[in-house]
Amino acid sequence: MKIEITKKIGFLSWIATILFLTSCEDVIDIKVKDGKQQLVVDAWLTNETREQKIVLNYSQPYFQNTDPIPVLGAEVKVISDNNKTIAFTDENNDGIYTYKPRSVDYLGSGNLIKLSIKAGNEQYESYSSLKRVPEIDSVSYEAFTFPVNVTNGGPKNGFLAEFYAKDLPGEGDTYLIRSYKNDSLRFKPSNITLAYDAGFSAGSKTDGLMFILPIRQSINPVLFSDGDKLKVEILSIPLEAYYFVLQLRQESQNGGIFATPSSNIPTNIFNLNPKSDNTALGAFIVSKVSSYETYIDKNKAKPKK
Amino acid sequence: MSTKLTRISLLIFLVLAFFGKYNEVFSQSKHTISGKITDKTNGEGLIGVTVFLKEPKTGTQTNLYGFYSVSVPTGTYTLLVSSLGYKSVEKRIDFSKDQTLNIELEEADNNLEELVVRSERDDQNVRNIEMSVNKVEMKTIKKMPALLGEVDVIRSIQFLPGVSSVGEGASGFNVRGGAIDQNLVLLDEAPVYNSSHLFGFFSVFNPDVVKDVKLIKGGIPANYGGRVSSILDVRMKEGNSKKPEFSGGIGTIFSRFSYERPYLKEKGSFVVALRRSYIDVLAKPFLKNDLKDSRFYFYDFTAKTNFRINEKNTLYASGYFGRDVFGADFGFNWGNATTTLRWNHVFSKKLFLNTTAFYSNYDYALDSDLKNENKQDSFEWNSDIINYSLKPDFNFYLNSKNTVSFGGQMIYYTFNPGKATATSGGISRVIGLDKKFGLESALYISNEQKVNEKISLNYGLRYSHFLRLGPGEEYFLKADSTNSRREVTGRSEFSKNEKMSSYGYLEPRFALNIGLGEASSLKLSYNRLAQYIHLLSNTTATSPLDVWTPSSNIIKPQISDQIALGYFQNFGNNIYESSVEVYYKKLQNQIDYVRNADLLLNPVVEADLLFGSGRAYGAEFYLKKNKGKFNGWVSYTLSRTEKKVAGLNNNQYFFNRIDKLHNISTVLIYDITKRWSLGSTFSFASGTPASFPTNKFLWQGMALPHNFTDERNIYRIPASHRVDVSATRRNKHAMFKKGESEWVFSVYNVYDRRNSFSVYVRQNPDEPSKTEAVSYSVFASFIPAVTYNFKF
Repeated sequence: MKIEITKKIGFLSWIATILFLTSCEDVIDIKVKDGKQQLVVDAWLTNETREQKIVLNYSQPYFQNTDPIPVLGAEVKVISDNNKTIAFTDENNDGIYTYKPRSVDYLGSGNLIKLSIKAGNEQYESYSSLKRVPEIDSVSYEAFTFPVNVTNGGPKNGFLAEFYAKDLPGEGDTYLIRSYKNDSLRFKPSNITLAYDAGFSAGSKTDGLMFILPIRQSINPVLFSDGDKLKVEILSIPLEAYYFVLQLRQESQNGGIFATPSSNIPTNIFNLNPKSDNTALGAFIVSKVSSYETYIDKNKAKPKK
Repeated sequence: MSTKLTRISLLIFLVLAFFGKYNEVFSQSKHTISGKITDKTNGEGLIGVTVFLKEPKTGTQTNLYGFYSVSVPTGTYTLLVSSLGYKSVEKRIDFSKDQTLNIELEEADNNLEELVVRSERDDQNVRNIEMSVNKVEMKTIKKMPALLGEVDVIRSIQFLPGVSSVGEGASGFNVRGGAIDQNLVLLDEAPVYNSSHLFGFFSVFNPDVVKDVKLIKGGIPANYGGRVSSILDVRMKEGNSKKPEFSGGIGTIFSRFSYERPYLKEKGSFVVALRRSYIDVLAKPFLKNDLKDSRFYFYDFTAKTNFRINEKNTLYASGYFGRDVFGADFGFNWGNATTTLRWNHVFSKKLFLNTTAFYSNYDYALDSDLKNENKQDSFEWNSDIINYSLKPDFNFYLNSKNTVSFGGQMIYYTFNPGKATATSGGISRVIGLDKKFGLESALYISNEQKVNEKISLNYGLRYSHFLRLGPGEEYFLKADSTNSRREVTGRSEFSKNEKMSSYGYLEPRFALNIGLGEASSLKLSYNRLAQYIHLLSNTTATSPLDVWTPSSNIIKPQISDQIALGYFQNFGNNIYESSVEVYYKKLQNQIDYVRNADLLLNPVVEADLLFGSGRAYGAEFYLKKNKGKFNGWVSYTLSRTEKKVAGLNNNQYFFNRIDKLHNISTVLIYDITKRWSLGSTFSFASGTPASFPTNKFLWQGMALPHNFTDERNIYRIPASHRVDVSATRRNKHAMFKKGESEWVFSVYNVYDRRNSFSVYVRQNPDEPSKTEAVSYSVFASFIPAVTYNFKF
């Protein structure tokens, strides 16, 4: 379990400066063996009417910093549990297969949704399911000043926001929380917030509670300023996707004294031919989304504590 | 208790009865001399002093309390008492009756020592049955350059052969390929569960009150057990029994103060010592607003007293209490506490008993809201391990050829793996795992036997037993050989004090010394050790949050078998000691972790564990100059540490994260004049294994690592090397023209090298779709420091 308390980041980083006054990170060159190129599936669909994307490309050597090679000419289908087939098409020939839903229930009841991809001679499949998501009641914010200068690119003085929502009763709901500042999505591994019921992880016995404070305040990778537009989203994700994102976050920031042994991020995409060497990477996730939007108004802010 | 234990106690009784009989028959013409050997200046009992009778060429060593006993036929002999760092004492003794002889030794002056004729028993390291044992004198440790000028026992022992750490700044140490939790760190016989302050930067031992440090890496005698890799036996000072003494110092991190004195007409003495970091005090005026109430400090308090009731009985009480505290309104604190009570009883000239009762505790707590300002939302969490133990140890000086040690130990454990209270939106939930209980017991007997002038033996047997006691739960897991979480198939519940799982092991111990000539010997040892409690830690360096867990139906006790062979040679009139040792260690039931293992507050933590075996082997070369203005040592370790775990690296042996092929250390001390001395250390170590991805893939704009072959630890981080230096200037007086004082100047990492602690890959912080490799150094620049020490 990780204790993430945004408000204390300033303090903790200050302590860290004292403790690790001499630590440093240098970017270096290392040589590693190359592995086999694999199909990568980046498919995260939501129950929204905006254009839905499934991106297919190939994995590349780790230190090769060029754009990945797109997978062209694939046949991409999503089959909902009422056996309705939706075809995703690559209009621009760039490996981005799209579909524009006409209604939010295009995925049906969503108990079991199948993704089917035919790329070259290989046939891949994956399954996900649409879980329930709670509404966001409100968002509040308070004037806040970091006690020390901040290095995260945001202001030192600003507003610390907090959303209010309650986990749905019944154990085992998993969610992902993400936020936008002036319409730009903040979604780096360092600010991915996952919730298991209203807490961080299984066994936290937070079923049916209001999301715990560090989750409610996780929408402040940087402080907001007066007039900023703030949007918060809760996405329901299946348990399998929760572990996928958890591992993704862990492997993306796995350095320093307390690093854990690196481990591959699991995938839920499998080749229909179990004997084939052409295995895939990535994940197929479907989510219900609830969101809340507001503009920061300094006159509505709660006073400084 | 199991019938096996009863049977063993019976066996011990029979053996003793036999020895008693044997003794009666042969003892008519023999006489015993026994007593205590102490330091003249402060009355401290001296450990491991050689007591040797020249004419019959026989002798012994003082035990952990300075007690010795030798039996020889009637006659007049020359008794020679010698110990490294002390002036030898020679006495003619008339052995016509049993007698008590207490001897005080005077500290040797290193500068003059080279001129004195060598006594012939300075070759302890060659003659002694012990092998794979390193002792470092506190005098030496204090002269070694230290990080930020803070003298540190655990950092110092990392310069010894066979000892390493995962990296600079990491907590603990690794011995011959063993994990950190496989070291039994004892402070006055009580185990210390976390030996570090500040996440691992400093060790918890206050150097001002440490008397003796002994590291046992192999040939571990039967009186020790419970951990599979090593014993670090730290003994505290007893307190000056001659005169009151203040000592202390101000360093970069700690200020230290200790006071010791005799009481009740020198029948007893005590020492109290306090050490505290003081940067928070200095920083206070600069803290504003939210930071005004910041707390960040660590301290330790150590106290010990002894009281000689009479010639036959001495009582000791010692305690340690240390804590690290960090926080403003959010708080995190952790610490150890130990209390030891000991009773030394001399039954007769030949039978010595020490009974120890100890309490040891390690706990930590997190609180999101120290000031309780926010009643609506908070998070509190604590975890601890507590144990109580009783441990009688007997030394029976049977005759001049046999010294029998026997005894036992019982430890009652309480594990609190974690209790937390989470409050969200005004509603509180208690999250937490139930406490776990265990009882570890052991019986042992061993004999150190001098077969003849050339050959001595130490053979012993320890039987250890562990009983998991209810209340508690046991889970059953589906058999699985992959690197992923196990499925729970069943569960059974146990009521209070109900027997859950239990384990027992016979642990044979053996050591042989064959004298090869005047100043050389060949030694061989074998030991088996069992370990019933385990530290669950999946990070490179252990963290204060890591939790100790007992063996269960799923977690089997760790077992190690080690065989070591050594050649010991002294030359230059015993001014130089050298040794070469080779060892092979096999470890069973080693713990590893599935991917994404959740080790905290996880009720079925066993489902996230993998089990495998380990092996470690290597050669250790050691050359030490004991005396003279110029002294110190060079050590070189060539070693391999591997493990094999089902589900990892194709089920083949692969390098352990702590594997270092080469490890070279030098410690050089130069006492220029009575006022100045210089110290320097150098270390070189091969890079530790690392894992890197072969490929990356983009997912939602993030470049994610993927290892196509899914193998761990096939790469290496760069080798590390470092030089530290120090200079000590002794002043004639401390304050007010009294006592003595010294300035210690030190520079850590003189040539400013950025040694890699780890190398890892990451997304470029500004562009998550780009990737790079990063070398992380904990101490990336040279670190100068000044310390002032005083004593009066």
